[in-house]
Amino acid sequence: MEKKIAVYICTGCGIGDALDIDALSKVAKSEFKVPICKTDGQLCGPEGVALIKQDIESEGVNTVVIAGCSARVNFDVFKFGPDNIVERINLREQVIWCHTADDEDTQMLAEDYMRMGLVKQKNMYVPEPYQVESFSRNILVVGGGLTGLTAAVESAKAGYSTILVEKDAELGGYVGKMYKQVPMKPPYTDLEENCIPNLVKAAEDAGVKIYKSATVENTAGAPGMFDVTIKQGDSTVQERVGAIVLATGAKPYEADKLGHLGFGKFPNVITQSMFEEMATAGKLEASKVAFIQCAGSRDQEHLPYCSAACCIESIKQALYVKEKNAEANVYVYYKDIRSNGQYEHFYMKAQQEGVVFVKGDVTEITEEDGKLTIEADDKTMGTTSLADEFDYVVLANGMVPTAALGDLVEEEPAADEAAAASDEPKASTPPVIKANLLNLAYRQGPELPALKYGFPDSHYICFPYETRRTGIYAAGVVRAPMDMLSAVEDGAGAAMKAVQCVEATEMGQAVHPRSGDMSFPEFNMNRCTQCKRCTEECPFGAINEDEKGNPLPNPSRCRRCGTCMGACPERIISFKNYSVPMVGNMVKTIEMPEEDEEKPRILIFACENDAIPALDMAGINRLQYNAWVRIIPLRCLGSLNLVWINDAMGGGFDGVLLMGCKHGDDYQCHFMKGSELAEIRLSKISETLDRLGLESERVRATTVNIMDYDKIPAMLDEFAADLEELGPNPMKDFA
Amino acid sequence: MANKSILVVGGGISGITAALEAAEAGCEVYIAEKNPYLGGRVTQINQYFPKLCPPNCGLEINFQRIRNNPRINFFTLAEVENISGQEGNFDVTLKINPRYVNDNCTGCGKCVEACPVEVDNPFNYGMNKIKAIHLPHDFAFPMKYVIKADACKEAGCAGKCAEVCEYKAIEPDMQSKTMNLNVGAIVWATGWNPYDANKLSYYGFGRFKNVVTNVMLERMAAMNGPTGGKIVRPSDGKEIKSIAFVQCAGSRDENHLKACSSVCCLASLKHATYVREQYPDAEISIYYIDIRARGKYEDFFTKVQEEANVTLIKGKAGEIEEDQTNGQLVVIAEDQEAKQVTRKSYDLVVLATGMAPSTATAAIPADMAYDEDGFVVPGAGTAGIVVAGCVKNPLDVASAVRDATAAALKAIQSTVRGQ
Amino acid sequence: MEQKNVFSEPVKYDLTFAREIFRLENGSYIKQCMNCGMCAISCATRDVMDYSPRQLFNLIKLGKKEEVLTSNTFWSCTSCCTCKARCPRGIPIIDVMHDLKKYAIDHGYTNYPQAAFYKAFWNEMSVRGRMFEGGMTARYFLIRGLDEILKAMDMKDVGIDMLKHGRMPLLPPKKIRGLGGLKKIISKAQELDRKEAR
Repeated sequence: MEKKIAVYICTGCGIGDALDIDALSKVAKSEFKVPICKTDGQLCGPEGVALIKQDIESEGVNTVVIAGCSARVNFDVFKFGPDNIVERINLREQVIWCHTADDEDTQMLAEDYMRMGLVKQKNMYVPEPYQVESFSRNILVVGGGLTGLTAAVESAKAGYSTILVEKDAELGGYVGKMYKQVPMKPPYTDLEENCIPNLVKAAEDAGVKIYKSATVENTAGAPGMFDVTIKQGDSTVQERVGAIVLATGAKPYEADKLGHLGFGKFPNVITQSMFEEMATAGKLEASKVAFIQCAGSRDQEHLPYCSAACCIESIKQALYVKEKNAEANVYVYYKDIRSNGQYEHFYMKAQQEGVVFVKGDVTEITEEDGKLTIEADDKTMGTTSLADEFDYVVLANGMVPTAALGDLVEEEPAADEAAAASDEPKASTPPVIKANLLNLAYRQGPELPALKYGFPDSHYICFPYETRRTGIYAAGVVRAPMDMLSAVEDGAGAAMKAVQCVEATEMGQAVHPRSGDMSFPEFNMNRCTQCKRCTEECPFGAINEDEKGNPLPNPSRCRRCGTCMGACPERIISFKNYSVPMVGNMVKTIEMPEEDEEKPRILIFACENDAIPALDMAGINRLQYNAWVRIIPLRCLGSLNLVWINDAMGGGFDGVLLMGCKHGDDYQCHFMKGSELAEIRLSKISETLDRLGLESERVRATTVNIMDYDKIPAMLDEFAADLEELGPNPMKDFA
Repeated sequence: MANKSILVVGGGISGITAALEAAEAGCEVYIAEKNPYLGGRVTQINQYFPKLCPPNCGLEINFQRIRNNPRINFFTLAEVENISGQEGNFDVTLKINPRYVNDNCTGCGKCVEACPVEVDNPFNYGMNKIKAIHLPHDFAFPMKYVIKADACKEAGCAGKCAEVCEYKAIEPDMQSKTMNLNVGAIVWATGWNPYDANKLSYYGFGRFKNVVTNVMLERMAAMNGPTGGKIVRPSDGKEIKSIAFVQCAGSRDENHLKACSSVCCLASLKHATYVREQYPDAEISIYYIDIRARGKYEDFFTKVQEEANVTLIKGKAGEIEEDQTNGQLVVIAEDQEAKQVTRKSYDLVVLATGMAPSTATAAIPADMAYDEDGFVVPGAGTAGIVVAGCVKNPLDVASAVRDATAAALKAIQSTVRGQ
Repeated sequence: MEQKNVFSEPVKYDLTFAREIFRLENGSYIKQCMNCGMCAISCATRDVMDYSPRQLFNLIKLGKKEEVLTSNTFWSCTSCCTCKARCPRGIPIIDVMHDLKKYAIDHGYTNYPQAAFYKAFWNEMSVRGRMFEGGMTARYFLIRGLDEILKAMDMKDVGIDMLKHGRMPLLPPKKIRGLGGLKKIISKAQELDRKEAR
């Protein structure tokens, strides 16, 4: 595409007063030979926008460079259609609002940003969306329990062709076998009939294609083009689907491990699911029953987490006993009754029916003539208490996700001696468990990575469906311990994400967090050395590998973060609108003052997600910091390519600072481990730097979250002070 | 022919999520938010449990998604006046209240310097003052100023701000407007209000200065709050040596909110971490009935107990008295494990008040069903109006986002199904 | 304030006694107690009570009939209603206390002075349909015995004050109109009560 660039400098908001606009225009016109360069007092106003539109129509401008406020504002005003490129140069939040007006250093900063914004256009192209061939809009739901059935029904009702695979002969899973259910609607006091039969009928009525006694043998491909092999008995069926919901549920915690509570010792000490079976079979005859909560959960020796549903499930089962025999004595031994939200009404109802709740720790269970006695450290009474003559003691033994059941995938042995010998620090990889649920034909492992306790949950509070595999969404108790009401919502939510993935992918767009992004990484395989850095480091398993180690990219699995681009030492990976040469040119176009001018230069690579907004916020609050800094936004610090550090240090920069999101166990990085990878890469070049006679402390990484904006001036000024102590970069005058 | 667009009423985290999920699946979506900014009550939270991460991080990503999506149109200062029609074809009348600041506003801030009128800052629950013309809060999206006009009238100022604005962005005579939308489905996500602690007379809120609510403490801990992030006694601004959290203040209570508000246990545990960070030696007590840290939140409970040295007292606080000489508070409770009634003195008391749904005081202008606390019953009432977020159940943020995602799909189904 | 320690040794749950109490008019409300402790603090006479209402309810569930019926808890209740207004479970605690008072009297647990007082008050009221403090006091002393009269001597100042202020009439008041009707009502209520008890 032939680029016709026009530069528009806004002089409003004080920009005109703080900077020499003529000199700035000169950079565009003389240095970059931009054909059109105009100024306006309020570019975001109707006249300013009209000016730009006029040039687009009559002058054939297709690349609009706006030097003014931040890209985070006026996004709706500066929209000129998908075929035109809009570049925003931040002269306001990141220049005049945080630096001295009418000042030589501020002017140099503004002029450098003009240069950087313009040099970007050399490598900037409108992305062409990746089109999947034989695109499938089908939604696959794996698991036909409460959550899976809900997901399938909701997806089908929204008009999407849906396939459901269930390993048992009957649909319904754990809930399907229940006698009755906890209430899911006001007044939240009454036991409800099992909803599974209606749900199954709804699935059939909605036209869901159901495979029973079936498992997923293999899942290959990517969003829009998953090729799934379904094994049913001796035969296999191939289905092509667009997105997948994983709703394979959970299993009760192994009660064999609860010998200290009498399981295995006394036949009448049973689990919640065994009790439920008795009720469903109509075999519930009891005049005295005890329920012991947190049997195995909230226990460092067993399940450290709370299984979320057991309190209300036990309350339900206590009501079963009372339903059959109003005179029955029912006790619930608990640590805390977790009947959250409107389930408080359910708790009170059980009490009104005469269920006795005892706060305490069960210390011993003994048996005599088949009847059980419970001794407890009773917090309600403040002493040891006893209760005897129990027909049954029911252990609320918690749940373990199906994703956690299986062997860990072994770490790959090193590719060759050299790699094995090197002490290279590696990015943390979450474990993958061979749970035989999806059997993904992915280089990174056959299942979704298991986070804490084996749950393939999202780590984000604001984005609960962000599993690490694009187009595959975990829902229900396989994702996290939850109660039935939550699981129903979760199933519908995951179906929404699956549907959305299909719609976005069909248009070649990325999903969250870079929603709508149509760029994708392209590989120049001529220079690939099969080092496998990209395939290993991709946080989303988007790149497969052939036997020789060549990367096989799957664009619709890609989240467009650029981690692969940053990893590649040969720099063969690029996006149409984001590439190694693009950023490299930005670094090189910055004017480097001579050493004796005593104007240091600090290069900052800032993550777009938290660090750039924090820098903007610093400007909005008029916090002042030194004008030696030159900020380059990156999609993610994971896309940092080390050649840029070379370019920077070789070009005379005194220091390079990476500003990114927190990594580690409680990571905030929106692309999982981008900032972690960047830091690891930095550690690898410290040797190189030392050999060049450059101190490795000149290049460092720091964590910035969006609320840290008030700390930015101190952070930057401290770095500048440290650099001053180290002295100027000796390469400066050779640049 | 069904109308495929969706109106989301309420631009908090649930509303924004429902809108984005539907829009990214191809729908046209409108958001009507009554505040002058999007984000709702999570913008007033300092950190989320259990990661102790800032809400603005997730909000920034969501705002970025809104910026990049041409299918989302949002209206701030908007309220729903009327709904008529049926699933697939609703006619909604929105009232757009005047901002008194138009689209020319560049956020330069000169008006604030010139404004002579101060008002209670609603963002900080009235704990400090701001000028009548102000940016709602420093992360406000959209970044546009707004005027609290009744205060200007009272003070007799006719528009000093308009005089200094070089962009002619201020219109003191701006009128409210009405607009009509025709949509296929409505997502109602108007959220919650903190339960009115004045109704808990035995706790002294409103009478004793050093009794605050949990949402107020959250503001105090925030760096953009009334005290710049320092937790101090409201009566004299002094540092604290002891603090008590009173759980179930107005929740799980047949006389107030009958339901459990679900998040307050975790919120108080989170507050304990705030206090511990600022005051390594302060005494922190939590008076509770049950600690409801469900599911994986149990880890947070374990972590706070280990790291923050919190004293957990089983026994709901019965009464609070004030020592008028020094503003200290005495919490009287039956400590069930110590087996006695205790009177303990604290510098600051935080009432863990719960969530009253907005529909407890303002019903939806359509035929809907509510439970005894005013929460909307999903699935009952007008077809095509889907409920999301805390107006439906008391929820933590992750669950609200999950439910809002589900609501988006239900809304899409309505547009597919409606005639 | 230290309340009486509930127990120092192991206890055993037995719901037999509890079931009797649950059958009282307001007794079933006890079941919904969630052990929060508001009642312990709300009570106007909390400094005097052996056990807080909450602890009393737990004792009932444990089957500790003697401890419950010999405690002073329900006798100390002044019906101020604070607990009832504040109980988050909506338990009408004062009404439960009334029921326990009646149960105690019906089952002969009348050691406390309050029991005698109620009896004296009620019996005096039944005579004329209105209160005669002199008669009531006399009845009270008759029930309580000599010791009480001696104690009463300590209160003679109060008595003289009351006389001065016309609060201690020396002569009984007139009977109410319709006393016969009132007596019939009372008698009918007692009959119904006996029926229910069976």
